[in-house]
Amino acid sequence: MAEYAKDYSLPELMAASVAREINDGELCFIGVGMPLMAATIAKFTHAPNFNMMVEYGAVGPSPRRLPMCVDCAVNNERAYYTGTQREVMGAQQAGFVDAACISGAQIDKYGNLNSTCIGEYNKLKVRLAGSGGANDLSSSAHRTIIMMRQDGRNFVNKLDYITSPGHLDGPGAREKAGLLGGGPHVAVTTMGVYRFDNETREMYLEKMHPGVKLEDIKRSIQWDIAVSPNLIETEPPTEEQVMVMRTLDPLKVYLGNGREVLAGDFEAFMKMFEDSYWPMTELMKKKGLL
Amino acid sequence: MKFEPIPIRKGRAKPPAYKIMTAREAIAAFVHDGCYLGMSVSAAPAALIWELVRQRDRIKNLSLSITSQIGMSSALIGSGLVSKIEMAYNWGGIEGEDKVFRRAVEKGIPRPLEVEDYSNYGCAMRWEAASMGLDFMPVKSQLGSDIIKNNPRIKVIDDPYTGKPVSLVPAAAPDVGIMHCARADEIGNVQCYGLYGNTDLLARASKKVIVSVEEIVTQAEIRRMPNLTVIPYYYVDAIVQEPFGAHWRESHFFYHHDLAFGLDAYRQFATKEGFDAWANKYIHGTKDWNEYCKLVGYERLNRLRLSEGKYQKFGEVR
Repeated sequence: MAEYAKDYSLPELMAASVAREINDGELCFIGVGMPLMAATIAKFTHAPNFNMMVEYGAVGPSPRRLPMCVDCAVNNERAYYTGTQREVMGAQQAGFVDAACISGAQIDKYGNLNSTCIGEYNKLKVRLAGSGGANDLSSSAHRTIIMMRQDGRNFVNKLDYITSPGHLDGPGAREKAGLLGGGPHVAVTTMGVYRFDNETREMYLEKMHPGVKLEDIKRSIQWDIAVSPNLIETEPPTEEQVMVMRTLDPLKVYLGNGREVLAGDFEAFMKMFEDSYWPMTELMKKKGLL
Repeated sequence: MKFEPIPIRKGRAKPPAYKIMTAREAIAAFVHDGCYLGMSVSAAPAALIWELVRQRDRIKNLSLSITSQIGMSSALIGSGLVSKIEMAYNWGGIEGEDKVFRRAVEKGIPRPLEVEDYSNYGCAMRWEAASMGLDFMPVKSQLGSDIIKNNPRIKVIDDPYTGKPVSLVPAAAPDVGIMHCARADEIGNVQCYGLYGNTDLLARASKKVIVSVEEIVTQAEIRRMPNLTVIPYYYVDAIVQEPFGAHWRESHFFYHHDLAFGLDAYRQFATKEGFDAWANKYIHGTKDWNEYCKLVGYERLNRLRLSEGKYQKFGEVR
């Protein structure tokens, strides 16, 4: 049994929790950022035959540097396929993709997500990025793995806007709307891990991150969250998982405040790639992944 | 019978003729005021976008058709050239929140920006429809979401074959499509390395097509690997050679994203004054892409290229 890390951060705990949701042999849609961390450690540990799909047209890349966006040059590294977005989106609509990682600014109890606006769409307070591929992934992937912040205001009774359909308003709603995919399966947040009930399609609390109290979780959710009778503490990342994440992201761009360090500092940026590529090459060789 | 033969109708194919121009010539020739402009994201046509902004005395109003844009649309929106954007996503990737976009949509600064939301696949299928001469495409995304509630141009119908709901997106045929690719010959056969998103669809959907490339090669070189040809000549109106033409973003297998530059630009885009100062320095303060590259520094650009070449090379597995 792998050794648990004694020293790890919240982003590392979340990435490890998402990694555990990926099964060996699966084909999953992975966004860059934290899901990429999760995908990388899954491949290093329990899922060496899992392959990732990246939204702007890459299948099976094995990056040793941090991808910076869904169309990043790094996503070409060791890929089986590079080409078009409609290849990967089409494959997903046709049912080939097992799971997809998505996120949002707001979530409701059925796992519907908002990444479009805060306030009414036509009288908005804050305009956000928009769907991107999140709507497509949540529509057609067989299951979605949600990864998001839980900040006390964003687990809401009613979303300002449904960008990415979850289980809509309950059992049977997705089928009625004509959606092909299975919808949300799990949500990993900054406070815990939630799963969706097969009967009611509602979210329930399954795991709490170490140090988080149930009353704090309840207070941060607008509805009365169902709690699993088998509520447990989230399993920490292993030593190896933490080591791999820190090797891939030496400046903590995704794992911490690396962006602030990098803005305007070209030398630090060039060094960041050097500091991840060669150590990752060694790690992958040792694991037989290269 | 009058014994007059049926008149011959001419196809839309652009001729296999010399198409190399400068960015200034190409934008001046094809982009007009009021243009419906399509832009690729991967690779992003930064050199062409910058040139468009330089010609803002002539081009005052654009509507944009994109799938997603990650940063580069800011130059057009922040300069007040865009009144409408049809899109799935407009934000920084790793650079984070796009303050230029937020200011325009939320506060109308520097001018109001109307947003028409779709999903990524929805946007791509709009170009796909136009690329095949169709007026719409069915998509199994967007269903059940508020995207369809707030965008009357997406229709939800019962599929006439299965009876199940499906969303229809209208074809999008931009007046002009601009994109950045790896290489092309002088008559406009364009090749890409690595992933290229929806660049192929945009070229097929657009009425006029301007492609900037890293390299111009011979027709013989194109013929050597014809399966790399993502856009055959008959879609293309202008080829513009702009090495590093996607900076600060990546050009696959040539150079990677200049994150330090992008993060710094985004920091300055936080205020309108910051954006204006940035645009005055990097866009209006340079007369063409070569001057922009000099300002950024060819040494820096070459290091981005050498660095990418160290980590991966097209045609090799490392």
